[in-house]
Amino acid sequence: MALLLRSLARQGLSLSRPQSCVLLRHVVPMGTSAKEEMNKFWAKNSRLNRPLSPHITVYRWSIPMAMSISHRGTGIGLSTGISLFAVGALALPGDFAHYLGLVQSLSLGPAIIASAKFVLAFPVMYHTFNGIRHLLWDVGKGFKIPQVYRSGYIVIALSLLSSVALATL
Amino acid sequence: MSAVFFTLSRGGLIVAARHPAGALIMRCAQTAAAAAPATQPRLKKFQVYRWDPDTPGDKPRMQTFEVDLNSCGPMVLDALIKIKNEIDPTLTFRRSCREGICGSCAMNINGGNTLACLNRIDTNTSKAAKIYPLPHMYVVKDLVPDMSNFYAQYKSIEPYLKKKDESKQGKEQYLQSVEDRQKLDGLYECILCACCSTSCPSYWWNGDKYLGPAVLMQAYRWMIDSRDDFTEERLSKLQDPFSLYRCHTIMNCTQTCPKGLNPGKAIAEIKKMMTTYKEKRSSAV
Repeated sequence: MALLLRSLARQGLSLSRPQSCVLLRHVVPMGTSAKEEMNKFWAKNSRLNRPLSPHITVYRWSIPMAMSISHRGTGIGLSTGISLFAVGALALPGDFAHYLGLVQSLSLGPAIIASAKFVLAFPVMYHTFNGIRHLLWDVGKGFKIPQVYRSGYIVIALSLLSSVALATL
Repeated sequence: MSAVFFTLSRGGLIVAARHPAGALIMRCAQTAAAAAPATQPRLKKFQVYRWDPDTPGDKPRMQTFEVDLNSCGPMVLDALIKIKNEIDPTLTFRRSCREGICGSCAMNINGGNTLACLNRIDTNTSKAAKIYPLPHMYVVKDLVPDMSNFYAQYKSIEPYLKKKDESKQGKEQYLQSVEDRQKLDGLYECILCACCSTSCPSYWWNGDKYLGPAVLMQAYRWMIDSRDDFTEERLSKLQDPFSLYRCHTIMNCTQTCPKGLNPGKAIAEIKKMMTTYKEKRSSAV
C-alpha cells in the first residue's frame, strides 16, 4: 500500500497530467506518512521558489537568547584558544618562561596587562558559570521565565566579579 | 471586538442590539468623537511584510499603512482586518476565532511571535508597528506561511492514545487518577500556533530534522499520559542527534508562547526521561 501511494505521489509530482492529479487528490488524505508529507513540503517550496520569511534580522533579542549564543561563542573560542596554546607549546621553539619574559620586556603597564587578563579570564568564567546554569536546566530546574532571567543575571554578575578578581592577581 | 466591527459595517444597527449596551455606548461615543473636529485622529503606522506569488519576480517588501486608532479595535488583528476592509483588500493573513484559541493569526509582531488577536496595539503612535510572518518559514503570500512541515512533524509523533491491548477499545472509559490528569495541565492547552517553534533558532537552522518545541511538548504530553502504553517507543523514536537534541535551552519558545505554556521545560523533561528509560526496560525484563 505504501509503495503504491509513494509511486502515485511521485507521479503526481513529476507529471502534472490532470488525470494523475485527480487520483492524487483522492488518495493523499487517506494515508500519507509524515515522511511523505515532509518530502512533498520541501519539493513544493523549492519548486515554487517561495521566499523564506525574515528571522534573525527581525527577531527581538533578549538576554537569555544573547547569553545562549555567547555560551556557544565562548565555547568555540576557548577550545580553539586552548588548542592553539597547546600546539604552540609543542611547536614553538623556546619554553613558556621565554615568552613570558618577552611579554614582560615590552613593559606594557599595569592597565593594559590587567585588561588583557580580564579579556582572557572573562570567557573562561562566563562559560563555566553558564555551564553550571545549563547543568541546573538539565536536571529540570529553573525553567520559569523569571527564573531564567534571574539565573542569567547571576551568571553575568558572577563572571564579571570573578574575572575582575582574576585580573587583579 | 473585531466581530463588532465586521457586523456593524456589514449589517448595520440591527446587529448592534446583540452586543452589550456598554460597548454600544462606547461605539456611539467614538463615532461622535470622530465626527467632532476637535478630536485629533491617532494615526498609527503599521509596517507589514508583503509578497505576492502571482506577480512574477516580486520581491518581499514592507508596506506602511496608517490606521486611526480612534476608530479601530484594541488588538493588532483588529488593525489588520481594518486595513484589509478599508485600505487594501489584497492584504493576506490567516485569522479565525479572534480570541486566542484557534492559533491561525500567529505572526511576528514587533520582533516577537504572538497571536495578532491577543496582542494589543501599542498606543504610542510615534513608533510604527512591524508585522512579519512567522520567522524562517516559506511564505505562501504576505503573512501566510506554509505550515505543512510543522503539521507533518506533529503527525510523526503519533499524537493520540496508543494501547498495547486494544481488545477493550470502545467498551469502557480509560480512567485516570486526579493526579495523573493534573500532569497534563500546561501541556494539553497548546493550540499548535507554531509561535514557539518558529521563534527557536535551532528550528530555524534545522527545521527539517529537529522537531521543534511545539511538537516535542506534545510528544511529552503523550509520553506522560497514564493511559498510554507506548512511552518507551515514543522515547526511542527521538533517539538521534536531531529530533530532540537540537534543543539548546535558548528558551525563546517559553518566552514567546501566547498561551503562557512552557515547551522548554517539557523538552527538558523528555531529555531526563531519555537517560533512564532503557535502564527501566532492562530492569523490568
